[in-house]
Amino acid sequence: MDILSSLATGFGAALAPINLMWGFIGCLLGTAIGVLPGIGPALTVALLLPITAKVDPTGALIMFAGIYYGAQFGGSTTSILLNTPGESSSMVTALEGNLMARNGRAGPALATAAIGSFVAGTIATILLTLFAPLVATLALKFGPAEYFAILVLAFTTVSAVLGASMLRGFASLGIGLTIGLIGLDSTSGIARYTMEVPELVDGIEVVLVAVGLFAVGEALYSVLYQKEETSARHRLTSLWMTRADWKRSVPAWLRGTLIGFPFGSIPAGGAEIPTFLSYSTERKLSKYPKEFAASKGEGAIEGVAGPEAANNASATGSLVPLLTLGIPTSATAAILLAAFQNYNLQPGPLLFQTSGELVWTLVASLYIGNAILLVLNLPLVGLWVKLLQIPRPYLNAGILVFATIGVYGMRHSTFDLFLMLAIGWAGVLMRRFDFPVAPVIVGMLLGPMAEKQLRNALSISQGDWMIFVTQPIAASVLVLTLLVLLVPYLLHKRGIKLHEDD
Amino acid sequence: MPAQLAIGLGIVAISAVLAFGASRFPAEMGFVIMAAYVYPYAVAAFLGVVGLLMCYQALTGGFRNLSDDHETTQAQPGGKLGATWVTAGLVGVALLISYIGFVLAASLLFACSARGFGSRSPVRDLAIGIALTLPIYWLFTAGLGVSLPPLVNAWI
Repeated sequence: MDILSSLATGFGAALAPINLMWGFIGCLLGTAIGVLPGIGPALTVALLLPITAKVDPTGALIMFAGIYYGAQFGGSTTSILLNTPGESSSMVTALEGNLMARNGRAGPALATAAIGSFVAGTIATILLTLFAPLVATLALKFGPAEYFAILVLAFTTVSAVLGASMLRGFASLGIGLTIGLIGLDSTSGIARYTMEVPELVDGIEVVLVAVGLFAVGEALYSVLYQKEETSARHRLTSLWMTRADWKRSVPAWLRGTLIGFPFGSIPAGGAEIPTFLSYSTERKLSKYPKEFAASKGEGAIEGVAGPEAANNASATGSLVPLLTLGIPTSATAAILLAAFQNYNLQPGPLLFQTSGELVWTLVASLYIGNAILLVLNLPLVGLWVKLLQIPRPYLNAGILVFATIGVYGMRHSTFDLFLMLAIGWAGVLMRRFDFPVAPVIVGMLLGPMAEKQLRNALSISQGDWMIFVTQPIAASVLVLTLLVLLVPYLLHKRGIKLHEDD
Repeated sequence: MPAQLAIGLGIVAISAVLAFGASRFPAEMGFVIMAAYVYPYAVAAFLGVVGLLMCYQALTGGFRNLSDDHETTQAQPGGKLGATWVTAGLVGVALLISYIGFVLAASLLFACSARGFGSRSPVRDLAIGIALTLPIYWLFTAGLGVSLPPLVNAWI
């Protein structure tokens, strides 16, 4: 009952015209950047972080959540019509949905993706509503040792499970941790690795790194290595789904949701694993295995419905660790954490008590946002597709202009702009040699947090490191971390290749 | 694999810089439970091991499990020149923004990057740049409260 009344209050606030407007803007922006290749939700939210100075926290966070959700919706449109995944987590959708589109079934593919995203998003939000308070209550019992162990687990999953190589994932994480080291140490007051540069004393902003890697790095990589896409766009067909389409989609949506949500909510980062799992499940269970891409068929609707649902459910699921533990499991979630911190709000178990109204308004806005997105996407899909006609030079030039605003707007520093350029070139190298990017962002944000928790844990144990072995919860989380290290090995053995989600 | 070896060595070098820096932190006074150098040393050790393993991989057949993209991706003709244009635009904006203001500097960046991506009509690009950055300037400064250098700079 408690949850219901809190949620009702949340709906009251989320339905206020001003908050509805922020939600609508977020959904609109999110869909647009989801459709456009080369710009993702992490970058968009990073660029919009400066508005936290002016807009109240509820409005801004509702908008950011809309962007996060909207990008998932929009991404499927590009994958189905263009065969270049707008987001890398919609890679499977690109495979199967594009096949359907090539065989004149673009409409039903788009419809099952959008309705599936709505169904999955809504069910996942219900699960979030039910579970997040429970997790928060549980997390209240965690001390610094437990937190440190969970952070180590998050580091490991973000860098070792995602991406093709555990070693390169760890390298990215190490770089992120290194960036996080720069600046004043909060406990001792010693300036670390600032190299006498005054701009570095406050540390490097996560916005700067995200913009450097995602905007500048992507643009440079694209100009150096990518041909102009000339692939023909598929014609839109009627969105109408037949009875058979519905019958095959509904179970796939539900299964996708059940696979996606738990994967999103454990610190295992990214929507890649659940979308692949959902795809292979659907292929196994389908009565029409001949239609799947692997059998050179015409494209199976389950292969679009399931992964799209899993994708959305895991995006929602990743809000559970973010809100209850303050631990982001993807680059976008990491930027969302930075948004909270800009308001001096620390996501974690206490957030539900100190800022309960904000949290519940945010949760309520997720229900509303899903509905807005369904309305925005299905009937207006023709309009969104027009976005793809923006010429490549102007799209990239525009992204770089926004990157400049995002970075320079923070503190009018020329140094920051040069640093952004340098990070951009580093991003080109990382992309070229297949280093994942998310661990850099997560590492730089969580690194200082890990050091702080480690210090607190050792203060409590009076310097005794055995605390991580003798405390049952901390010890089991660390054992779990060791087990996680085996996951990539098992995935490789089964021939599953993963790429990260930005 | 010289490029990969260089990356591995670069990571080892970062690790060495971290360790060297940590060894020179000023001493802390009083009762210290975990000194400021402990965690940096740990990160340095971690990066050192990772860097050495990368060097090993680079010397024994190259990085493992590179994506298919890595094999098929070719440097585009004109790509280096294009990247130079984009870089020049970004350097330009960094050097000029405090003198000529956001709108002009950003429009210049717009035109340079459009050129880098193959556009061949600089005057039109500059015009589009100004048409785009003027409303953005207004939206961000008036609407969202982000302060950006004005069109005419502050000291006039």
